[in-house]
Amino acid sequence: TKWAATPTKHPPTSLSLQHFDATYSVQLGQLWPSVRAAMLSERKYGALLNNFSHDAILAELEAQGCRNLLSDTDTKAHLCLEQESEVVAGVEYSGVSISKTSDIDGHKLSALHLSPHIKCFVFPRGDITRFKPARPDVCGLLGYYLMDAASVLPCLALDVREGHNVLDLCAAPGGKTLALLQTQSVVSRTLRLRRVLNSYIPKSLLTDQNLRITSFDGTKWGDFERNTFDRVLVDVPCTTDRHSLTEDENNIFSKSRTSERRRLPQLQLELLMAGIAAACPGGEILYSTCTLSQIQNQSVVEQAVYVARENHGINLQVVDLRPLTHMLRKTFHFAPDLHLGEMVIPHLAANFGPIYMCKLRRLS
Amino acid sequence: TNRASHQSHGLRLQPGDPELSLLSLLDMGFTDSQAQRIYEDTSKLRGGSAACKHALSTLTALFVLGLNPSSVLKLLEKCPELYTVRESLLQQRIGNLRKLGLVEGSLQRVVSHFPQIITVPVKTVKSMVMFLREKCLFTVQQVTDILRDTPAVVLENTDKLEYKFQYVYFRMGVKQAEMVKSRLFRYTLDEVRSRHSFMERRGLYQTPDKKGQTIIINPKLDSILNVDQDTFLTDVAKASAEEYEVFRRLLAREWQEEERLHGTVEAD
Ligand SMILES: C[S@@+](CC[C@H](N)C(=O)[O-])C[C@H]1O[C@@H](n2cnc3c(N)ncnc32)[C@H](O)[C@@H]1O
Repeated sequence: TKWAATPTKHPPTSLSLQHFDATYSVQLGQLWPSVRAAMLSERKYGALLNNFSHDAILAELEAQGCRNLLSDTDTKAHLCLEQESEVVAGVEYSGVSISKTSDIDGHKLSALHLSPHIKCFVFPRGDITRFKPARPDVCGLLGYYLMDAASVLPCLALDVREGHNVLDLCAAPGGKTLALLQTQSVVSRTLRLRRVLNSYIPKSLLTDQNLRITSFDGTKWGDFERNTFDRVLVDVPCTTDRHSLTEDENNIFSKSRTSERRRLPQLQLELLMAGIAAACPGGEILYSTCTLSQIQNQSVVEQAVYVARENHGINLQVVDLRPLTHMLRKTFHFAPDLHLGEMVIPHLAANFGPIYMCKLRRLS
Repeated sequence: TNRASHQSHGLRLQPGDPELSLLSLLDMGFTDSQAQRIYEDTSKLRGGSAACKHALSTLTALFVLGLNPSSVLKLLEKCPELYTVRESLLQQRIGNLRKLGLVEGSLQRVVSHFPQIITVPVKTVKSMVMFLREKCLFTVQQVTDILRDTPAVVLENTDKLEYKFQYVYFRMGVKQAEMVKSRLFRYTLDEVRSRHSFMERRGLYQTPDKKGQTIIINPKLDSILNVDQDTFLTDVAKASAEEYEVFRRLLAREWQEEERLHGTVEAD
């Protein structure tokens, strides 16, 4: 009788599974069973190193056998850390049809610029060792923040430099803000976020000039601070696929949240439009989600690019992130042949993601 | 007819002469070197001449079953305890297996593959049969088939067996007939659960609902279990060996943690 007790009603986790089986088996085809098994199994974490900690965390993590994402890269990819940036290969939109230039050669790859301050440690492929919880140092700051290592990619891809004015439009709970703050000062939002930041960032840095945490509706941001930011991270609420498959609590697939779930693509579009408006001309916007859903990923970006041009006269260029994915393909599995943006897909041996990201540059 | 064949064999062994000599072994049809082996093996046994007395009756009983000298030798090397079993017990146990439906042919096969079966008390075998009939609702014929295909089942712990049975019955939705056909009891619970869970997480296996229905068509238990790992991965699960290897390690950790939380019957 141990197995006889099958639940009569449908919990949200099984509703999400049904939904994903229907949509992703079409969208991902042959890849879906492999992604599915990974998402239903224990995920892997990365340890985002806190540069503000006084402890010798780096050596400790290396001794345990983990490595910095950026030091364990594919040797064929050329990368210049902290050098002058160049224009990254990208293609302008014409109409709604979108295409990326496809040559991955040494020249284009060397254009990649990544902050060396964002250090994320992971255990090697196939290694299922877990990280110990971070300990506070003498000043009470924690040595690392455990997060999906793939979540660090949008921060790396955003390419924040010293002196940049950065907007993190949907910052809570704060993992990505923390990664961005490893490079410098940020503007962002909420409460749990405050708590996370307080555990990691020295008080002297969390000043009002350096950091503003607000709880304005992100979709309205563009109304009052237009054309302002060099970098904008738009890490939108989504169906959070992995969470929806594993936790019944606070699950977007529960019956009571159906309409909220249906409105997600619209909210995502509004947030991305607000991020686009808040960026300055020449500024860069990074759109990211933790869902595999094409409707919440590529379709939102496509529409935003279209609406920005048609309704606001803003021209956007898609920035090619393949140099980044090419470099990190030993650590992550990326979805092949996405026509727009890049996506980390979960795999049992590298159980990170899903993370979708697409980078846009404002031309006007 | 059993008795008749027993008697005819008994004539050759000169009843009343308990001595196990090289000569008597040769007389039974063993070659020189086979006889030498048995002679040495039995003299090494504890209990000395008493053991030898049983050895003789054991050999007789095995010949009566219709086994030839070389398979008798092979089987005794696998299970030397047989030399020391009393004749009456041996006869009881063999008789019991016959009663359970292991007729000529299958009985020989079972005894040569799993000679330990005749070291197991009749009581133990009977209670395992009861368990299979009453707790798992196998039919008489199915129990015979189980004993024939997986005789080692008689030595298993019934709590563990029940857990395995219920896992396959409820979680996998497999009925008794298919369990027998796929020789379920040959595989450890871990093997069964690993392959099934892997298939399930990949979306290739579903627990049937109350009406026994599934949205996808589940592969047969036989096609999941009765293949080597490579074939299982390429033909059935359609996954890489790397994925399965990592998965098994993750699963082992999941089970460990579950056990720590709830404590399950399969814990030793
Ligand atoms: C994917 S999470 C962001 C995770 C965060 N960037 C991190 O890395 O820790 C999206 C967040 O957006 C918030 N959100 C939802 N609607 C919003 C809105 N209209 N404006 C701003 N934030 C919103 C949600 O509460 C949620 O915390």
